[in-house]
Amino acid sequence: MGASRSRGYAPIRDYAAIGDGRTVALVARDGSVDWLCLPDLDSPSVLGALVDAERGGRFALEPEGPCEATRRYLPETNVLETTFATAAGTVRVTDAMTLPRGGLGPYRELVRRVDGLTGTVPLRWSLEPRFGYAGRTTRIERRAGVPVAVSGRDAVALCAWDAGEPADGGDAIVGRFEAREGRSSLLVLGAAHQEPLVLPSRDDAELRLHETERSWREWARDREYDGPWREAVLRSALALKLLVFAPSGAIAAAATTSLPEEIGGARNWDYRFSWPRDASFALQALLALGCAPEARAFFSWMLHASRLTHPRLHVLYRLDGRAEAEEESLPLAGYRGSRPVRIGNGAAQQVQLDVYGELLVAAARFASATGGLDRDHARRLAEVADFVCECWEQPDAGIWESRGERAHFVQSKLMCAVGLRQACELAEGGLLPAGNRARWGREEQRIRDFVETRGWSERQRAYVQRPGDERLDASLLVAVLAGYDEPRAPRLLATVDAVRRELGRGPLIHRYLGDDGLPGEEGAFLACSFWLVEAYARQGRLDEAAALMDELVPLANDVGLFAEEIDPATGEFLGNFPQGLSHLALVNAAVSIEEARA
Amino acid sequence: MIWGALVGGLAGTLVLTTLLRAASELGLTRMDLPFLLGTAVTADRVRAKAVGYALHAVFGLVFSLAYYAVFAVVGRSGFVLGAAFGLVHALFAGSALVNVLLPVVHPRMGTGFTAAGSAPLLEPPGFMLLNYGRQTPLATVVAHVAYGAIVGGFVSLSG
Repeated sequence: MGASRSRGYAPIRDYAAIGDGRTVALVARDGSVDWLCLPDLDSPSVLGALVDAERGGRFALEPEGPCEATRRYLPETNVLETTFATAAGTVRVTDAMTLPRGGLGPYRELVRRVDGLTGTVPLRWSLEPRFGYAGRTTRIERRAGVPVAVSGRDAVALCAWDAGEPADGGDAIVGRFEAREGRSSLLVLGAAHQEPLVLPSRDDAELRLHETERSWREWARDREYDGPWREAVLRSALALKLLVFAPSGAIAAAATTSLPEEIGGARNWDYRFSWPRDASFALQALLALGCAPEARAFFSWMLHASRLTHPRLHVLYRLDGRAEAEEESLPLAGYRGSRPVRIGNGAAQQVQLDVYGELLVAAARFASATGGLDRDHARRLAEVADFVCECWEQPDAGIWESRGERAHFVQSKLMCAVGLRQACELAEGGLLPAGNRARWGREEQRIRDFVETRGWSERQRAYVQRPGDERLDASLLVAVLAGYDEPRAPRLLATVDAVRRELGRGPLIHRYLGDDGLPGEEGAFLACSFWLVEAYARQGRLDEAAALMDELVPLANDVGLFAEEIDPATGEFLGNFPQGLSHLALVNAAVSIEEARA
Repeated sequence: MIWGALVGGLAGTLVLTTLLRAASELGLTRMDLPFLLGTAVTADRVRAKAVGYALHAVFGLVFSLAYYAVFAVVGRSGFVLGAAFGLVHALFAGSALVNVLLPVVHPRMGTGFTAAGSAPLLEPPGFMLLNYGRQTPLATVVAHVAYGAIVGGFVSLSG
């Protein structure tokens, strides 16, 4: 394994993501696939070395002996190319989860092609499948000469061509071979779930790899942003596309569970769910990028998923739309000792009032982009607005899902006000039933009175996290983004400055500082940093916005991906990866600057 | 009486399919009979499932007629005799029909003699379909016994 690993764990920054719209694999710089859940993104892991280097399972492929790795995504694709330079020569590994193209292929397929560029490079590979988060018994057998690993209703097969004879490595399938200049080898991991395995031919697998590259390129070329951060925006779009769960249209918050917000700490959460909270950011980004089908699918999924809990919105839903997300801890070592490793998410049971505002803002964006709302959606959104009138006075867990006592988070209140304003405007435009419009307006004013009298601190010259508490909160930047008031309203200008002043660490912004009821501390929150850029842009402070953007974009890893957080001191990535909200915020920040310039 | 066999065959196939699907959902097996049958006709996954369900229903009716013929020869029928036929049916399917015959006639299924070659290969089922999970024989037997009992019962009731 690579020299940059610590106790078997690669830095989070060392990972690149590949996927097929159903699941995502994380490939480390040293060529090891350390994370793969099958058959879907939120299924149990089969390769889980990311959260347990010893027992989790991996698919390693690396030169024997020292090497230097450089890598990139093939332009405008989610196909990863890693080049290993060794003393004996150079070899290139191309990794992709293939997209189905008709015909009979594996249910899920990870293709690894090895091309010898110069010299003769000895390589070794090892597949260690560990089904069910390494909790289920795995048997390794052979079918038609092909090694397979089976466990209950799941199985994987490893087909190898010119990559050495697959051998029994105990609880692994292993092989070694020499990559010679001008020759190529192929390793294909095919997976089955509740069906017999399909063992592909080499030609078919190669063709699918080629077609996958072409499909990604075609999709990327339709993206509409053409500003100075095009490369970063396009990479973000491709990363977000990996997180769109194609069977339902849901957008996962991230591809992983329990990558820690503090190394060795307990702030480890499962993000393989979809958060309605992200809806307005997602709609804004998707529509700006020209991803209307994805925007429509996500909006429809969200309203469909919330049908059973209507008019209440759960904080998060499973990717298949179900509302249950019971949290449990797994007996795994955790990323660099960060325990517990959680699956499920206890935040699902929380009350978070800001989600209603986010939903109604998303509805307004969707209606504006598509020309309207269908009657059923309109009726349900009106009922959501009615519900906001009834619930906004309750305390909640806030946007950051505080696990302490509920409180009157100012950001939650102001998003309720924003939501009711959007409902009023939609009703005035004939897009929502207008029967309760007057009530929505009255309650909106009451909320604004609350925010302006109890949520404003004269001492801080800013809106604060909660009444009676002088702490600032970067989520209050959303007041500018969501249009709580005119962007250049004095209190919003002052709040933006205060957030930068109090919560900023260089270009990075912390969510908040101080005790939050959980042990340990966390890094700076990347989405908040990009929200600050967008706030500047909306306030017409374009020089500040562009300068900050120029500082933030290079903080991505070498293939342009972001995690949830960054340690401002070391630049180390923290939290789940790749993180949808970080990339959504990047896209919206870049687009806002261009819009403000136009 | 022949109508009883056909109705029983249809009902029995519905129950058999449901039981096997439930076993799959419960993680007991990876066997997917409609998928296996359909991929003999088409390589398109979606079409294969649709074709497979249709073929499965047809085979269910054909087997019910075979059951009917045996009931006629022995001169009696009923739930218990049908269940016994179902047990034999399951053992035959697991040991010979699906294990030996299907890989031979299925254009995309591997056998013990093939390696991953130029065409995609479906994982062969193995003896008693054990390649699809250790509980597969149990699920297969239970489903076929239920099928046989239903066919036998309908034939008896209609006679």
